[in-house]
Amino acid sequence: MVIEHLRRCLVAVTCISLVGAAMPMPAQAAIVSTDRAISLEQRAGYISAVTAGLAREDLQARFVALGVDPAQVQARLAGLTDSELAALAGRIDELPAGGDALAIIGIVFLVLLLLEFTGTIDIFKKVP
Amino acid sequence: MIRDLRAPRTRGARARSGRALASLLLPWMAACSTVAPLDASLPGDAPRRIELTATPFFPQEDHQCGPAALATVLAASGVPVVPADLVAGSYLPGREGSLQAELVAAARRHGRLAYVLPGDPGSLVAELAAGRPLLVLQNLGVDAYPRWHYAVLVGLDAGRDEVILRSGRRQREVMSWARFDDSWRRGGRWAVVLLEPGALPENPEPLRFLEAIAGLEAAGRLGDAAASYAAAAARWPEHALAQLGLGNNAYARGDLAAAVASYQRGVALAPGNAVLHNNLAQALLDAGCPRQAEAEARTAALLAAGTPLEGDVRDTLEAIEAGPRQEGRCAVEAGGSATGQPLSSRDDLEARAADR
Repeated sequence: MVIEHLRRCLVAVTCISLVGAAMPMPAQAAIVSTDRAISLEQRAGYISAVTAGLAREDLQARFVALGVDPAQVQARLAGLTDSELAALAGRIDELPAGGDALAIIGIVFLVLLLLEFTGTIDIFKKVP
Repeated sequence: MIRDLRAPRTRGARARSGRALASLLLPWMAACSTVAPLDASLPGDAPRRIELTATPFFPQEDHQCGPAALATVLAASGVPVVPADLVAGSYLPGREGSLQAELVAAARRHGRLAYVLPGDPGSLVAELAAGRPLLVLQNLGVDAYPRWHYAVLVGLDAGRDEVILRSGRRQREVMSWARFDDSWRRGGRWAVVLLEPGALPENPEPLRFLEAIAGLEAAGRLGDAAASYAAAAARWPEHALAQLGLGNNAYARGDLAAAVASYQRGVALAPGNAVLHNNLAQALLDAGCPRQAEAEARTAALLAAGTPLEGDVRDTLEAIEAGPRQEGRCAVEAGGSATGQPLSSRDDLEARAADR
């Protein structure tokens, strides 16, 4: 309940700050970006500036929670388009995060070792 | 010691243990059995054997195959980096790995356009043949227990049905095509080529390429993006969105005359595109031409009615209505009417400006 309340509050604050940010420079706001024009032509659908702004807020918080230096978060998100931000928001914990190939080799080795000791296989030849 | 305590094995026991092993591993291998050979998957005229031996190699640290693989393709494309330079910008400690989007963003920050290839073997071989190694995502586990891994594809040999990778701590990992394709399929057939600004991939798709340029722009590389938009406009002269990209890029760089000229070329190609009319209206307003701007914005409003763009166009119209009405310093209207005399090219625009 409390979390839901905080979430609503955050959304409201974000919306207000976005509107506030847009006010002083309507000239910038009126240009429809290339990325958003492309999103209109694709199945994924149109990404509005508000959707992208909310996605950015959401991602900033998740990145800090996942151990990224808060001072770095802005710079890291800067290389992503609005569509990419929207695709990433809310899915950061489930999307592939390539780490290493070494762990799986370890597991296979353990399974083989277990089979060897139980006598199911005999691939580790005894050194004479 | 343990072995000495066991009874000697018989041939039957070995056969049984072989079957036991097979039954254990078969579910893992089942998906491999259906993969067509590499030779049959490649276009007829594609080279059958390539290896980009000059591709650098950076053995990965724990969990950091992302920065290592990215450094490999960046260095191969001429950007002098080592994996340590990329960790702070692309490694996510809480996930013990790197997200695809973050590797792409990091490449853009280093001035390279990251083009995500369509996931077919023909695209892979075409880029390799052009001398460009590819960043790929593999799932080395199974769908239920994924082990995500980034590697760099540097070669293939259709005769031996193999691919060659820079992977983890192996400088030259040779993997059967079936095994690679299986792990690549389970990673979503994701392969990325890094391009210098202005360069095109081998078989570019317009929207895919324009999307990649927009990413370069998001990373603040406006000049690099301009070179790539120019390449896109030259490759697809009939594509209105390439003109939109050029126009938006010029607008962001503060070059209003170039922005207006590009938007107008776009409008000529796609008169029904509300985005082009809207952005043209905004650029004209900024250039001190509110009457022309208003005409374009009204066209945009008609086209945008009932679409998600309605709000954007309303903002543009409101900005025009709030501003001064007279054409005090309009640099792009020369004898044009209030409805906006269409300009056919940038030369036309400059000629009219010179006439005044």
